[in-house]
Amino acid sequence: MNTLWSWIVAPLAYGFMQRGMLAAVLVGILCAIVGCYVVLRSMAFLGDALAHAVLPGVAIAYLMGANLLMGALVAAVVVALLISLFSRKGTIKEDTAIGIVFAAALALGVALISSVRTYAVDLTHIMFGNVLGVSPTDLWLIAGIGAAVLLTILAFYRQFLVIAFDPVLAATQRLPVERLRILLLLLIALTIVVSLQTVGVGLVAAMLVTPGTTAYLLTRRLPTMMMVAALIGAVASISGLYLSYYVNIASGAAVVLVATALFTIVFLFAPERGVVWRRE
Amino acid sequence: MNTLHIEQEPAHLEIERLTVAYGRRRVLDDISFRVEYGERVVLVGPNGAGKSTLFKALVGLVKPQSGTIRIHGLPPGAHTDCVAYVPQREDVDWRFPVTVADVVMMGRFGRLGWLRRPTRTDHAAVERGMELMGVAHLAHRPIGELSGGQQQRVFLARALAQEPHILLLDEPFTGVDAATQEATLSVLDTLSDQKVTIILSTHDLSLAAVRFERVLLINRRLIGDGSPAQVLSRGLLTEAFGGQVLTLPDGSVLVDQCACHQSEPESIAVK
Repeated sequence: MNTLWSWIVAPLAYGFMQRGMLAAVLVGILCAIVGCYVVLRSMAFLGDALAHAVLPGVAIAYLMGANLLMGALVAAVVVALLISLFSRKGTIKEDTAIGIVFAAALALGVALISSVRTYAVDLTHIMFGNVLGVSPTDLWLIAGIGAAVLLTILAFYRQFLVIAFDPVLAATQRLPVERLRILLLLLIALTIVVSLQTVGVGLVAAMLVTPGTTAYLLTRRLPTMMMVAALIGAVASISGLYLSYYVNIASGAAVVLVATALFTIVFLFAPERGVVWRRE
Repeated sequence: MNTLHIEQEPAHLEIERLTVAYGRRRVLDDISFRVEYGERVVLVGPNGAGKSTLFKALVGLVKPQSGTIRIHGLPPGAHTDCVAYVPQREDVDWRFPVTVADVVMMGRFGRLGWLRRPTRTDHAAVERGMELMGVAHLAHRPIGELSGGQQQRVFLARALAQEPHILLLDEPFTGVDAATQEATLSVLDTLSDQKVTIILSTHDLSLAAVRFERVLLINRRLIGDGSPAQVLSRGLLTEAFGGQVLTLPDGSVLVDQCACHQSEPESIAVK
């Protein structure tokens, strides 16, 4: 009993661990909820692309000595708008537009970062996150942006539901489909930005997609899907961090691996929809 | 002494010289007709005749190249709730996590606007729509688990929950069981009694002849407009369907659509 308690509490003795844990849980929940739309609208590629595309923003902020999160934020918004601009009116398909913008932004980011001396270390942090480096300011930014994103999703729940499920109905009800699509893109971009510190550019797509897909297999309505996804995101974040502390592996990778393990279990054993049950 | 009733009169529809093009290809060419309120019209024509496009133009999903559409004397888009449109079933993601009741409630969203929550009136309309279409017992089932016929009923229930003045149904009987077809037709009878204007497209010419008083025959252009006896004649059918029309020795006409629909040939006797 005592040993288990100390096992749980020991890592939290450090302030940076406390902040890291809090940040990881917030990000886990936020990614999972926003990720439900990413899953349902098949935008996994977009999520990954947006994540990589924030690199130049981070690099420029770094070179200017500005806040890295703010740099990423500006870049994400610019890229999200560029993608919707290129794919608008169907001149270019959206995934083609994403491919072009994302590769270009990534190239620009690498070019900028490679001009800095400590290139390797910083790039690793950006690519795979550094949850133990979360400052109090970062934590406030994560909480503030996260709350804003969740409130927006709550406020426009009905509209997002209709444009995701039945775009034709959305159009006949005169919803501004294009603007809502851009808004959703911006929400995803913001989510990615606040996730950079915990899981990094390379792994954020997994945090968007894996908890949502797992919850999809377990639930039948969007609100419950979002709640279950949030729970999975939080559990994966907490256990991932403990795993990272005791086994001494990279924290972002640990969180994603736990989420993937949960997905695999559900994929195999989910009631009715799991592989095992469908075998008969 | 006098109570003032401000009621919108039931909707009528005017289409004048409507032309719709995708790129340089004209899908609808110079179509004009008028539908009085409470009228029930069936739209027939070969595949690719522009039936779906006509519906999409009526709800404002495609922009006409020229010509005008007036509903209540106003352009489409001026009304968000008085026109209900049931598109062909392929347009929806059936694996989406929503229940039957969720889908039917979407029919009320146009009235609710951006932030108002559904009231008792809205829930009652949803309930009524589901009852009428016989899907109330499925209310809490995910739509992905339903059969094709049940899914079609759910979408009709949604259109009914919207309480429209004009109901547009695009091929509601394609891939649907006989019971659903009958249930749909009897609901349409009820709606006609309530002076709801109905336009329905189908490739089932015999159904069009038997269950509707007015037939619009189109193939890009408007080829015939009138009673089934007037429109479903050998001459007009040949004009619309071309090589798919076969005249039998006894003088009846057979329209073969089986290449496009993988169903039985639709036949109709015309003396």
